[in-house]
Amino acid sequence: MSLSKRVSNWFSERLGLNDLPFFKTPDYMYHVNEWLGALVAASFIYTVISGLILLLYYNAAAGYQSTETIINQIPYGSVVLYSHLYGSYAMIILAYVHMFRNYFAGAYKKPRELLWILGVLMLVLTLGASFLGYSLIGDALAVSAVDVGAGIITSIPQLSFLIPIIFGNYDTGDYTRVLALHIILVALIGLLFVFHFFLAESYGMMPSRKVKPKAPAVYTKEEWSKFNPWWPRNFVYMSSLIFMTWGFILAIPNALAYLNGLPQYFNPFMNPKPAPPPNSPAAAHITTYPPWFFLFLYKIADFTSDVVVFLMIGVIIPLVYLIILPFIDRSDELHPLRRKVFTGIGILMITYLIQTSLWGDLAPGVEVSVKDQVVAYLIPAIIVALGLTFIKPMNDQMKLTRGISPMTGILFVIVSLLFAGSVVQLIDYPNLFTFAITAFMGSLFFLGSKTMGKLVLSQRIPNNAVPEVKTAEVSASNETKKKFAEILMSVLFILVVIIVAQMWTIPPTGYASNLFGVDLGLVFLMLGEVISLYHYVVYKKPIEKEE
Amino acid sequence: MGLKIRLGNGERRVLKSSDLYFIQKLLKTMRNPKTRFDSREFLEKGQDYLFNYVGKNVGGIDEGRRNFLKGIVIGVAAATVVGVIPGLRVLVPPVEQVSGFPKSLLLDSSGNPLKASSIPVNSPIITLYEYPLTGEPNFLLNLGDKNGNPVSISPVEVVVPQTGKTYKFPGGVGPNNSIVSYSAICQHLGCTPPYIHFYPPNYVGPSQLTAPEPDTLTAQALLAAKQADIPALIHCDCHGSTYDPYKGGAVLTGPTQRPLPTVLLEYDSSTDYLYAIGALGVATYPEGADGVPSQDPTKDLDTSQYGSSVGDKTQVQASTNPFSGS
Repeated sequence: MSLSKRVSNWFSERLGLNDLPFFKTPDYMYHVNEWLGALVAASFIYTVISGLILLLYYNAAAGYQSTETIINQIPYGSVVLYSHLYGSYAMIILAYVHMFRNYFAGAYKKPRELLWILGVLMLVLTLGASFLGYSLIGDALAVSAVDVGAGIITSIPQLSFLIPIIFGNYDTGDYTRVLALHIILVALIGLLFVFHFFLAESYGMMPSRKVKPKAPAVYTKEEWSKFNPWWPRNFVYMSSLIFMTWGFILAIPNALAYLNGLPQYFNPFMNPKPAPPPNSPAAAHITTYPPWFFLFLYKIADFTSDVVVFLMIGVIIPLVYLIILPFIDRSDELHPLRRKVFTGIGILMITYLIQTSLWGDLAPGVEVSVKDQVVAYLIPAIIVALGLTFIKPMNDQMKLTRGISPMTGILFVIVSLLFAGSVVQLIDYPNLFTFAITAFMGSLFFLGSKTMGKLVLSQRIPNNAVPEVKTAEVSASNETKKKFAEILMSVLFILVVIIVAQMWTIPPTGYASNLFGVDLGLVFLMLGEVISLYHYVVYKKPIEKEE
Repeated sequence: MGLKIRLGNGERRVLKSSDLYFIQKLLKTMRNPKTRFDSREFLEKGQDYLFNYVGKNVGGIDEGRRNFLKGIVIGVAAATVVGVIPGLRVLVPPVEQVSGFPKSLLLDSSGNPLKASSIPVNSPIITLYEYPLTGEPNFLLNLGDKNGNPVSISPVEVVVPQTGKTYKFPGGVGPNNSIVSYSAICQHLGCTPPYIHFYPPNYVGPSQLTAPEPDTLTAQALLAAKQADIPALIHCDCHGSTYDPYKGGAVLTGPTQRPLPTVLLEYDSSTDYLYAIGALGVATYPEGADGVPSQDPTKDLDTSQYGSSVGDKTQVQASTNPFSGS
């Protein structure tokens, strides 16, 4: 027995890795789609670690100054700070993706209701922690965001007792409360995560709709005990996902740190640097807007002057809806097209979230008349309603859909965005020209959505459609791919060594120091990729049945 | 190893060791009741079944290849760890080593250079500036007599009661040689203003005996001032240490055992500006010099690493007047 095998066995025996009560995974589930929660957890863990490092330096009595000190004087402080920010961004985005994926998959249904509710609560906590974390910078935007937040609370007289509880002596530049609550909320997320995780493990990942088309969709103990054990395959696959997530979190903000002079409307999405301090002359020249994940709320605040109505539309109704969802959608159907009302609401929630956020970005603080609101929100609703009425759930055996290449996917996204943009233009400037463009984009969008719809709404190619005779061929091409993967791994190894050698020469502070973050991000990405390729070569079977 | 066959003179390999390993593994799998090879199905479907079976149960991966791949993964992981190492410097707080005293121009509270002739004589307001490090406050005093006229402060030998050693105080600077500067950290237990501060002549009297903190003079201090024949003094309310600002911050009464360190000032008569250029007295820097007077006031910061240098400018802050309440 080789040494590595002995070491590995030693650990798996001591830690009882093979007896872990974790869900065993069937072959076909090694797909990012099934591991979105792991991505959220990876960004959570990254953000916690980087946050603890920042905690060593952050001084709540002087928020802005200590932020500046961290960026300018602490070795690689800006790398940690920017990636902490983007770690939380990644967590928010991935949490939404994770949530909506499970929404459309019907994963909130029996027996996973509690899992779903815990998840929704964690989303709320995440947004709350992000708001407080954002405020800790103490720049002009943070102070204005807090003022808006505090203003919302104050305008409901019964809630104004919360102001000192949440913000303490914020006005005098004391962020002690904000920092403490930031950490408290994150600790709560961690606590709920433990429950969320173990519940998920005990129910197991949700089987493919092909296998269990109705709720409750769970594998029986006998079924899943035959699947791949947690160690080593799941572990290998999971590490590749974690490292890749970390790679993006590190590489993107540190690369963006070199962008300068972005147009205003890119700032909330792409700028990892703090704005000027609130008491500086420069602060007078910036438009204040909240962080991107609250842009939608910011825009909704322009709809009405009544704070209660605002909170209802922006926070309470969507939240209550999501929490009680498992109890109002009581059918055992998992196919999105067999529960069209909920699918429609889900699509509209995503559409509205993106639409309102972009609106808030492009026209921050501009009041919106009721007529404009109706136009802006009715059109997507009508499109979705009509679309869902006419699309029928496809029979599993009826038709084979060919996969759509990523390129087509991107093209479709661009067409959709252009279509959305042209609709906005048409509303703003209703003339023949804009109408023609909208009609053109609309028809492209219609054609695209017809093709995409087939892919998105149908299920994957049924296995029995592939004749067994072809398997030899399949496995042969599989072998070529695996050879290619091995070569790629060697190339990546060489690249990593070169980058790492270069990383040692990067100065810890100053202009060049963010290159360290970019490089470290690339190294993590490549580590994740190498592990993923290893997983592919070693574990991937020529045919992975959905059983 | 491997299997070889002799053909005439040459040897030829027919099977590599990895092939043998593969065959062994395949046979084992075929015999295994869980993954038994179905010969009947094989007859029916031919080689496709065999390929399928092998791909599914044995896999195309031999041990050597797998180890090579593992090696690459471990290599990349190790390289990543090596890459993270310089990043760990984030855990080491940046330390600004201060070696030697900077020459700092004193600025007034609005940021302009401070005019020496504008400093009020015998002002009860605690006027402080940080030097040589941030967080190290010093008094800036323009000393006068009972009537508020500036007094020329002459050089004097200062005794350190703790060790009995002496050092030379260079005297006052400014247009009237009346401006002096001392550390505002009491040499007894480190009290800072407002507990230690300057008492102008009109506050050095019996009425201060009952004044509330931080303005209480001790009877001992009053007596010492009378004996030394000085109109004003520096007194620390914490434990009653008294210093003589006219004689280099020398000890008037205990419990302190050391005089207040002097900040060396340089006066530029053409511009009326003041510069702080060094410190003198019992060495506050380096720490722990225990009352031994500094020999070279420009080089004593070598081991000081807490706080950052104030640099070439330092701002004077006229803070509270402790007497305004009384």
